[in-house]
Amino acid sequence: MFGQANVLAQGAANFPPSVEDFYLPSILPWGAHNSYWFTKITFMVWLAVGILILFFLLSYRNPQLVPTKKQWFAESIYGFVRNNIAVDMIGHQGVRFAPYFTTLFCFVLLTNFFAIVPFFQISPNSHIAFPAFLALISYVLFNYVGIRHHGFVKYFKNSLIPPAPWYILPLLIPIEAFSTFLVRPFSLAVRLFANMFAGHMLLLVFTLGGFAMLNATGLLAPVSVLSWLMTVALTFLEFLVICLQAYVFTVLTASYVQGALAEEH
Amino acid sequence: MAGDQKPPSTGGPGDVPPGAGQGWTALSYLIAGMLVWGFIGWLVDRWLETDGIATGIGIVLGMAGGIILVVRKLGTPQ
Repeated sequence: MFGQANVLAQGAANFPPSVEDFYLPSILPWGAHNSYWFTKITFMVWLAVGILILFFLLSYRNPQLVPTKKQWFAESIYGFVRNNIAVDMIGHQGVRFAPYFTTLFCFVLLTNFFAIVPFFQISPNSHIAFPAFLALISYVLFNYVGIRHHGFVKYFKNSLIPPAPWYILPLLIPIEAFSTFLVRPFSLAVRLFANMFAGHMLLLVFTLGGFAMLNATGLLAPVSVLSWLMTVALTFLEFLVICLQAYVFTVLTASYVQGALAEEH
Repeated sequence: MAGDQKPPSTGGPGDVPPGAGQGWTALSYLIAGMLVWGFIGWLVDRWLETDGIATGIGIVLGMAGGIILVVRKLGTPQ
């Protein structure tokens, strides 16, 4: 769990950080390098799930008419997702999906946020598996909702046949099929993954780069300090990306559900 | 959940995805258009051994298709 901190303390960080740095040593067989059953990443995902369940259970356990601070916080998150994402994108029937969107938003936000929490310092979402599975859930959700709302044939007719004269349909249908059923889940997963991966990489480069320069020669010490100041600045940028990506993931899921529910185009 | 208020009456249920969704939809049509027809063109290239011509035609066709889709689906509703 403290792999990174140890590496820094020993001054043994190999400078150009690589993909290897994303595969942290296992926790349960402590320090094993070829066992991925229980790693820091696994731990963080379970922790995020636990925190969210506890937080929402505790803050809604004894609801007051005049909300307590915790209840107010939970209600404003839910209210934000419901009004500004679900209802805004889908309309009044979006309220049905608000609980899922809130869960999704909070989960992505929290797991992303681990990227800049001291001692966690890596987001589970910088491994493609987690964004990919979240995207898969969104994919199944919007297709299921669409098929249930329109029926199988009408749903596919709606989403594959754009409003256009028949003679350009052969040109358009493959594009529609590709962009709706293949690009959507792929881009949803890759967008989140790439942002978190790049963010972690960037922080690693500036932090480890500072140490590498310091180890090379003492003359570079001022540049090392500059590099670490950049790390601090980039951490703030990272915070922006974290919130933005959680929002974008939820908004796009909502937008796909809206598309699946829409009547004739 | 307890203490849940009634849904507000705001929020227009339009057929066009509002806001950010619209931008992503447009972008994905433009890219998907080039990719799909570029790929089909490339397959034709392999088949007829017309080095690259069919791929080029495919990409241009795909761009046109993507633009038509964006105009048709995201343009002013008739």
